[in-house]
Amino acid sequence: MIAVENLRKTYGDFPAVAGSTFAVDRGEIFGVVGPNGAGKTTTLKMLAGLVEPTAGTARVAGYDAGDPEMRRTLGFLPEESPLYEDMTPRSYLRFFADLYDVPREVADERTERTLNRLELDHRERRLGDMSKGMKRKVAIARSLINDPDVLVYDEPASGLDPLTTNYVIEFTRELSDRGKTVVFSAHNLYHVESVCDRVVIMNRGEIIARGTVAEIREEYGDVEYRVYTTVPVAGSEPDGDRYVTAVDDVDAVESIRESAVADGGDVIDIRTQEPSLEEIFLDLAGGTDERGSAT
Amino acid sequence: MTVAGTARAHAARILRIARWETFRTASVVDRRTAIVGLVALLLAGGVAGATATTGGVAIDRGIYRVGVAADSPYHAPVADSTALAAHPPDRTAFERGRLDVLVRDGEIHARDTRKGQAALGAFRDAVQRHNARLMSQEENRSAAFPVTVTLLYTTQNRAIVDGGTDGGGGGSGGSSGGASGAGGDASGTTPAGDGSMAVPDVGGTGLFATRTTGSPADISPPFPFASLVLAFAFFVPMNFVIQPYGSTILNERINRRGELLLVTPASPSDIVAGKTLPYFGLLVAVTALIAAAIGGGVVSVGAVVPLAALFLAATFVGAMFARSFKELTFVTVTVSVFLTTYAFVPAIFSNVTPIALISPLTLVVRDLQGTGVTAAQYAFSTGPIYLSAAVLFLLGVGVYREEDMFTQRPVPLKFLDALDSRISGPWSMALLSALSIPFVFVAELLAIALFFVLPVSVSVPPLLFVVAAVEEVAKSLPVYAGFEKERFPRLPRTALVLGGLSGLGFFLGEKLTAVVQLVGLPELALGRAAFAPAGVGPTAAVALLLAPLALHAGTTSISALGASRGRNWYAGALVVATGVHAAYNFAVVTALG
Repeated sequence: MIAVENLRKTYGDFPAVAGSTFAVDRGEIFGVVGPNGAGKTTTLKMLAGLVEPTAGTARVAGYDAGDPEMRRTLGFLPEESPLYEDMTPRSYLRFFADLYDVPREVADERTERTLNRLELDHRERRLGDMSKGMKRKVAIARSLINDPDVLVYDEPASGLDPLTTNYVIEFTRELSDRGKTVVFSAHNLYHVESVCDRVVIMNRGEIIARGTVAEIREEYGDVEYRVYTTVPVAGSEPDGDRYVTAVDDVDAVESIRESAVADGGDVIDIRTQEPSLEEIFLDLAGGTDERGSAT
Repeated sequence: MTVAGTARAHAARILRIARWETFRTASVVDRRTAIVGLVALLLAGGVAGATATTGGVAIDRGIYRVGVAADSPYHAPVADSTALAAHPPDRTAFERGRLDVLVRDGEIHARDTRKGQAALGAFRDAVQRHNARLMSQEENRSAAFPVTVTLLYTTQNRAIVDGGTDGGGGGSGGSSGGASGAGGDASGTTPAGDGSMAVPDVGGTGLFATRTTGSPADISPPFPFASLVLAFAFFVPMNFVIQPYGSTILNERINRRGELLLVTPASPSDIVAGKTLPYFGLLVAVTALIAAAIGGGVVSVGAVVPLAALFLAATFVGAMFARSFKELTFVTVTVSVFLTTYAFVPAIFSNVTPIALISPLTLVVRDLQGTGVTAAQYAFSTGPIYLSAAVLFLLGVGVYREEDMFTQRPVPLKFLDALDSRISGPWSMALLSALSIPFVFVAELLAIALFFVLPVSVSVPPLLFVVAAVEEVAKSLPVYAGFEKERFPRLPRTALVLGGLSGLGFFLGEKLTAVVQLVGLPELALGRAAFAPAGVGPTAAVALLLAPLALHAGTTSISALGASRGRNWYAGALVVATGVHAAYNFAVVTALG
């Protein structure tokens, strides 16, 4: 559904995106993560046809990303989506439906269905009088007004309270279940981990890791073994009435057992702990900082 | 999709955006504000109409009281005058100061006070105007106006070689023929000891009356009051309308609000056209109303509409460049002042010189006077305005994209961005240079209008320099933008190529100014100095055809070489290029006399 080939965007000498290549299948939820200035937003905007690539190609639903016809198949949600605050949700959505040539009856039906699903009841209230969460829901409804095949969401849960955030994440999953292809970026890696089928991690304009979350964990993450003993051993810490020692090598587990037995104790539990995507991300992007550019 | 189908789709989207823009603007404005705005707009039209039809704003209405009997021949002039109020000719009232002037028993008395004397003066004027009206209705013209004077307005330092008089003496001596003492009392009333009261006036009293006949004593150079009133009548609504228009454009840029429109199938030009259409339509409607109120026709509307388009275009570009509403206010005020000046200053000379045709308001004056406007005059007057508006919209739409419209950069850099958006290769230099012609033309015409009041010997040298400076800036800016935006390698050879192409484009575009030949502007000394000279031999004509090409290519290459090395070098090279260009201009003008 999406094919990106050596996509590159430079501002002067500054490479905001330095040659990205990836593909997204139909119905997939694809996450783009990375620190501020990594090139996530620029990548998504190039997919949406908002930013012209310096080099490379991006094809969405069979169209070149710069093709105006492509926009009919795409729903875009920017990180910040200020609305026309003097309009109501209904008039706002009708306006955009008009721009997508959606017939009035169809637009009204979609509007009702989406706003009902998003539990937004204030259809005739001024958008300027709404909370941030409610506005975000209207923005999401707008991204769906043309019934697009592909959704590009930039930080869809940015600045929302936990309840609304979970709601948005769940809704994203639901969209995928309905066959929509979703590409989204997020700072909260828990959300990415919980909802994305595949992920790319970007840093300094480059993709530094890619795959399913499990694949990335396997390739880049280290499994931690937590060994619980009845007596203290070297490097252990008390944990209630027992002691726990964290090691990342399965051979070290045997050494701990031998030490505990030598001191008159024994191993009572061994647990493995897989790293979170956030830990892997911090490990990969560790030491990097924001590049100070709006990318 | 066919071309027609694509055009229909674009038109449909433009109309939808226009409809929503109207809806949104209407929903933002509360009813009270809308009423106030409507009243203000109607007021402008109403004032203009009332002013036009009543002959001016009568702030002195009825301030002088004249005692005159209803059956007196003087009663009609008093009744017609706005400054005079007719009262019964009561001597006691006169003596007690309740009347300023008393007409009784064939005599006219005025109180011996300053007001009384002023009242007497107003009374005389009223009688003169009344008599003039009667005389103008006389079938026997030679009896009514025994002396005919033809006025010929000339430039200040041109000797008057042809008197142009008929029955009088020289051009200026015509006044002797029918001077103030000519004395017959057209209305048959008793003279009041001052023969001048019986002398007919020039004629009509309205703002736009054609003062073609009358007493030489009353003939004076044309007064620009009509242009002034017209300028205000047409420009006041424009100033109202560009405020919300500028705001709606800037609003799209604040907080990236307009980003979502850019991901719809609507193109930037669709969006801009749709957002502009309601405001343009409103201005056309208001212009038509005002024109109708002052007795104008299609020509008047056709003359003001391009000005409205230019107002909107300049405001659009300003709103695309401004970083805040504060900057936008500065932009709209600048637009308003500049365009009002451009339209108003030349219109002062509506009845004097073809230079007035620079301003479309002159067309309005001619329309109202019934003088008639030729297609060439219309093209000359409005062509640069239409083209300027089109180019400004083109530049603005060029930066109506995500990468430019949401960035916060100083206005000059935004302007370079706009130029850069239209650069796709070296030949873009020629195109951009040619597209600058309308602005160059407007700037040069304005310079001519401003220098017009000075003697030619004083005005020509600075004019030649200003013309050179304007043209050099126009030609070199696209090249500078190209280098600054890293479109081209900063090499001398590249600079020479770009400079040459820019000069070529400008040369070709400049030939379009031949339209000035159609309306006689080159007959003016300043017109000859600013534009291509006419009436030379074939060899000289070829030389004069190719020499400007060499000049433009050469001087632009100088600027381009500077631009390839950075801003300061560009500024220095621009001064040198301007100097060379000005010297060339001066040499040509001197050689051609």
